[in-house]
Amino acid sequence: MEEELDDLKLIWKQQPGFEAKNETEIGLMLKRKSNTLVNKLKRNVWFELIFTVVCILAMAGYNFTLPEGALRSTILSLLVLLISYSVYYVKKIKLLNQYDPGIENLKDNLSHLIERLDLYMKFYKRSYAILYPVFFGLGLLFGAIEKGFDQFINKFENPLYSLAFLILSIVFMVGVYTITNWYLKKLYGNHLDKLKTLLEELKG
Amino acid sequence: MKSAPEKSFINLINEHQGLIHKVCMLYETDRDARNDLFQEIVLQLWKSIHTFRGDAKITTWMYRIALNTAISGLRKQKRGLQTQELEERHFNISDRATDNQEENLQKLQRCIRQLSEIERGMIMMALDEVSYEEIAETIGITQNNVRVRMNRIREKLRKLMNT
Repeated sequence: MEEELDDLKLIWKQQPGFEAKNETEIGLMLKRKSNTLVNKLKRNVWFELIFTVVCILAMAGYNFTLPEGALRSTILSLLVLLISYSVYYVKKIKLLNQYDPGIENLKDNLSHLIERLDLYMKFYKRSYAILYPVFFGLGLLFGAIEKGFDQFINKFENPLYSLAFLILSIVFMVGVYTITNWYLKKLYGNHLDKLKTLLEELKG
Repeated sequence: MKSAPEKSFINLINEHQGLIHKVCMLYETDRDARNDLFQEIVLQLWKSIHTFRGDAKITTWMYRIALNTAISGLRKQKRGLQTQELEERHFNISDRATDNQEENLQKLQRCIRQLSEIERGMIMMALDEVSYEEIAETIGITQNNVRVRMNRIREKLRKLMNT
């Protein structure tokens, strides 16, 4: 067996010259952005956080110029929602910052990466399980404000309308959850499954 | 102007870039993906340079970061099989392609690529004369486990090389 490995080592040593990178190329590499999954996630969340903070500032400024009334209440409720979103993004960034690939061996690195990504996915799923119904409720509220509360509620006296509303709401919510789950799985789930398989191989 | 740590890091990469090229060659089959992986490994090494303690070999530390990046750090893009095969062939053609030694090397590379990602890393280190102790430290398993796995890998490689 050892002899066999020695033969392979001899073959392996015949590596052709690689296209060596020069010092300038290597220097430039240090200035570029990292494309690891965790770094990409961090960049996305930072972008979302900055965008949300800009929206909060703009809406808060606009809110001061408005008189008391439905529009001001609407803007205020959106502000509360956006602030809770910012807290959510900060929490996401904290989760991602806990991962440092440089200090661990392959097995520990895989194990921690799986743990971080699992937590991130659970957190993501839990957050939209809360946020989608909130959005749906807000949509109904704004609809009611737009139409007038009495007219809006009167429509539900018709049982057919109520039934159709209920069915459409269920279809909408199930559809939205299914699409989000599918998208999440496509984005991170498949990679996570691959990492789990690798870790199993190391444990086996 | 480059800072002193940056300069010494660039020298380090310059000196050991063969190691990174080998990792890229075994984990990516097309040229663009290989270049992307090379860059990512260099970046991760740069970001983690503070974690290098002088008590281990610099190459062991480099293997650890390079393998972590190649195996778990990046989400692989699915590329068409045809493109992959074409690029692979393109990569393997060299001025000395008719050379028997080079043919053997290409065959060995192809066989190693058929192993699992973890096995690829282990055999690469073994072929580069890295000790079992260092392989165990890099992968995170015991030396006994390395020995058992290496026997299995050699057996697999033997079968693959003979087909």
